Amino acid sequence: MSASSLDSDTVSLKRKAKGKRPFYFSDSDVDKLLTMVMALAGELSVTRDRLDTVERIAASKNLFSEEDIETFELDSDALEARAARHQILFREITRVISSEIEELDRESSSNYDQVIEMVESEGGRN
Amino acid sequence: MSGSYVEQNHHDALPKTSHDECARQHFVRSFKEHLVTSIHPGLKTAYEKRAKISFQKQHGRDPSDIKDVASVMKHDPHYQAWSSLLRTSQEMMWSAAQIPVERSLRELAASAAKSEGGQGTLRLNGDLKIPDYHTAVDIHCQPGGYHTEYIADDVAQGAIYDRAVYLYAMGQMGPDNADMGDSTVSWLQSQQPDFKPQRILDMGCSVGHSTLPYVTGFPEAEVHGIDVGAPMLRYAHARAKSKDLEVHFSQQNAEKTDFEDESFDLVVSHILLHETSAAAIKNVIKECHRLLKPGGWMVHVETPPYEGMSPFDTFLFDWDSENNNEPFWRRSHELDLQALAEQGGFTEHPTIQVMAPSAFQETQRSMTFQGGDFGGGGVWFLYGCQK
Ligand SMILES: C[S@@+](CC[C@H](N)C(=O)[O-])C[C@H]1O[C@@H](n2cnc3c(N)ncnc32)[C@H](O)[C@@H]1O
Repeated sequence: MSASSLDSDTVSLKRKAKGKRPFYFSDSDVDKLLTMVMALAGELSVTRDRLDTVERIAASKNLFSEEDIETFELDSDALEARAARHQILFREITRVISSEIEELDRESSSNYDQVIEMVESEGGRN
Repeated sequence: MSGSYVEQNHHDALPKTSHDECARQHFVRSFKEHLVTSIHPGLKTAYEKRAKISFQKQHGRDPSDIKDVASVMKHDPHYQAWSSLLRTSQEMMWSAAQIPVERSLRELAASAAKSEGGQGTLRLNGDLKIPDYHTAVDIHCQPGGYHTEYIADDVAQGAIYDRAVYLYAMGQMGPDNADMGDSTVSWLQSQQPDFKPQRILDMGCSVGHSTLPYVTGFPEAEVHGIDVGAPMLRYAHARAKSKDLEVHFSQQNAEKTDFEDESFDLVVSHILLHETSAAAIKNVIKECHRLLKPGGWMVHVETPPYEGMSPFDTFLFDWDSENNNEPFWRRSHELDLQALAEQGGFTEHPTIQVMAPSAFQETQRSMTFQGGDFGGGGVWFLYGCQK
């Protein structure tokens, strides 16, 4: 399970690419909302794929019925694993918001126009 | 499409994914496919039916360059939505590739360090300066770029890159992401059947996607790959070993290497040039000339120059310049490539600037170049010259 990405052994990687993040709509909140919607769609799709796997295995082995699912009781371990997975889900959905903070936290980023100028300058340093 | 889904080939260095991690990656690939096939075509309609008309009303003439097109398209809601989604898909791609690596990096690094197989070598240089054109922004939005290291023996950036390239190209570069190398090898073999390079250098090799085709395509040759990014090279080395292929990787700047004069028969690069700078690209071409034996070839694979494209197509194809952290993309597509080669010393022969067919023919091909459809064109632009 991917819940392990909250483990202490995890090496946390930079999640925001250095460079100004462009927005496209006249109100950048629309872009952010769209990003979150896509992340949600992604996670929904992941879940649906998993269910699809389960159903295919179950069907191929005559394992369980729909009623078994409805009456299944979750124990504390299972609940804990699910809660950890929800945290990952939220992190993905709100990535665009947290990456702004990651950027704010970082030592100054160069201005993108200055970078174009720098790489286009023929006499420039490399 | 049934039965034709191209999944990436497994190899020992590739990060293992859980069911959900893999499903998340496949979702990004599907998202990108959706943008190419369903959203991108609407841009032409939006332009013809809306943006262009508003430009004509304002100016009494047609848009004549990318600035003109941009002045109206940037306000077009369909362009805004496409851009917003494409940018988001790019961020999701890196994120989805990072998740399994973040979880298993220590293991990946340890197993790469003790990988076995093949006779290849790895030579790192911790003192090498990472060029400013790499540290100023993270190119094509990979957080941390090609060079960031988090732990000892780090392979994170390489491991992330390997999977992300597959997702970025939506499988259109084949199961080993090898299409640029494969296509160039095929082109050389068909156009220069008597050319039998003994020593080959791949500049800016990253994780070796394009390098390995030269090992299999020219089995008698000694193949070298250089890059500035140590995590790329460590991963490349482990990947080559897992495939039992011999490549000699070293951490060097392509502008100035420590190889001897006239020591290679073939010097190649694949989508390296557009990630450098106006100053660096000249140095790279000069270095190619220095390294080649008389009669040897340099060949650089890129996407084609803007020349001859309509203002609208150019505007869209230029999207990466400002929207995907590719600051040299635009200028690099406008260079006088003949003059560039001559300045670098290639005065013996005219340059070749050709479209070479893709070696990986199994996908549907648009035969055009469009933003967000990397590898979907079915052709590659080759720029080269014989010394
Ligand atoms: C887009 S990737 C190349 C992909 C690779 N050639 C392939 O076909 O799979 C660009 C690579 O070039 C490297 N690079 C950029 N500038 C360089 C330079 N001056 N010298 C050596 N490597 C460089 C980067 O570190 C990066 O790994």
